[in-house]
Amino acid sequence: MTIKLIGYPISTPTLRVVICLKELGIPYEFEPPASFQALKDKDYIANKHAFGKIPVLLDGDYVINESRAICRYLVSKYQGKYNDTILIPSDVHKAGLVEQFISYESCYYDSPVSKIIGQEVFAKKFRGKDPDPEIIKQGREDLSKVLDVYEKLLEGKEYLIGEFSLADIFHCPCTNLAYGIAAHSDLWDNRPNVKNWWNNLRNRDCIKKSFEEVKN
Amino acid sequence: MTIKLIGISKSTATLSVIVCLNELGLPYQLEAPANFAVDTKTEDYLANKHPFGKVPVLIDGDFKINESRAICRYLASKYQGKHTNTILIPKDVHQAGLVEQFTSYESFYYDPPVSKIVYQEVIYKFHGKESDPEIVKQACEDLSKVLDVYEKLLEGKEYLNGEYSLADLLHYPFTYYAYSYANRSDLWDKRPNVKKWWERLRNRDAWKKSLEDIKS
Repeated sequence: MTIKLIGYPISTPTLRVVICLKELGIPYEFEPPASFQALKDKDYIANKHAFGKIPVLLDGDYVINESRAICRYLVSKYQGKYNDTILIPSDVHKAGLVEQFISYESCYYDSPVSKIIGQEVFAKKFRGKDPDPEIIKQGREDLSKVLDVYEKLLEGKEYLIGEFSLADIFHCPCTNLAYGIAAHSDLWDNRPNVKNWWNNLRNRDCIKKSFEEVKN
Repeated sequence: MTIKLIGISKSTATLSVIVCLNELGLPYQLEAPANFAVDTKTEDYLANKHPFGKVPVLIDGDFKINESRAICRYLASKYQGKHTNTILIPKDVHQAGLVEQFTSYESFYYDPPVSKIVYQEVIYKFHGKESDPEIVKQACEDLSKVLDVYEKLLEGKEYLNGEYSLADLLHYPFTYYAYSYANRSDLWDKRPNVKKWWERLRNRDAWKKSLEDIKS
C-alpha cells in the first residue's frame, strides 16, 4: 500500500517530509486536506493529529505526525531499501552529530528565518497584513549571527557533517522561501561556505523537484 | 573513561541529560564552568565545546556532542539496555516513530508555554526581576490547551507512548520548575490523567537521583 502524505507543499514542515521521501526514493501519494478548517474537525484531531496540524503520514495502518518524527521514521524503516542515500549514518557517533545539527536547526536557525518568511511570505497571504519591517530587521540581525557560526562550521565541508544528511534536509524548506526573496539571498550569498552549502542543496535533484512542487 | 558532562545544575537542558544518564545507569562527572556567563563565550569554548556558547556538552572518550536532545538520543543509541533495562527509544520502528512524535509535541507545543512560565516566575524572580503578568496569563492559557490534549492522549496509558520513553523524559525539567517553584501545580493536578502521569514521573528512581545530583 502506497504511503499517503497529508499536507500542503507551501507548508515548510510538509516540504521537509516531501524532500525526505524523494531523497529515499519512497513512492508516495500526496493528499492536501479538504481545507484549513478540516484540520480542526473532531475526526481529524482524534485520528490524524491531536493538535490539528499538518503533515500527517499514513503507512498502511500506521499514522504518524510531526515532520521531524516522520522523517526519522522513514529513515529507520526505508533508508537503503529504494536507493543508496544515507540520511542518518549507522555509526552511532556520526548519527549523534546529525542529531546535534538537527538541534541547531530547531533551536537557532529556524526562529530568525521564520521571522523573515513569516512577514515576507505569510503575513499578507494568510493574515491579510503588510510585512512588518521591524520584525524582518530583527530576523536578519539574528540570522546573520547564526550564519556567521555556520560559516565556521562549514569550513572544508560540503554539508553540515561532511556528508549529506537529514540535518541538511531539515534546513531546506524555510531557507528555500527566504532565499527566494531577492532582498534576503545576500545573507547566504555573502558567506562563501554557507553559499557553497546552499548551492549544493538546492541543486540536488530531489530537492530541486521538491521546490518545484512549492511553486505550483 | 567516565563520561564528562559540562553543564550547570540550574540548566534545564543539563538536567535532561542527567536524567538520561541516570535512567541508562551511566556514571558521569558533572563539570560546571567556573564563571558560566564568561567561560561559555570564550573563543576556546566556542571553537571546541559549543559554537553557540551553550551547555550541556557531553564528552565520551574522544567523542564530543552538544545539544541536550541530540545527547540523549546518542546515549540511548549507544548504551540503552547495557547497564539498566530502561529502553528510551524502542527497537520497533513504529513504536520509535511514535516516541519521536511525542518528543516533537514536547519541543513545539508543551515547551514554549511551560518555559515562558518558568522564565517569568522562577528565573526572572531569582535574578530579582519583575515577571510580566500578561505573558504569564497567556502562557497559562496556552499550556491549559496543551494539557487538555495531553489529558486525552494519556487516557488508559501510564506514559505518553504506553511505556516510559525519551518523550516522557524530555518533559522533566521545565515541568519540575513550573510545578514545584512557579505555583502552577493546579494546571497538572486538575487533570486526572496528567496528574497521575506527573506523579509517576516524579516517583522514578532515576529522577530522584537526578535531583540529588543537582543539589550536591
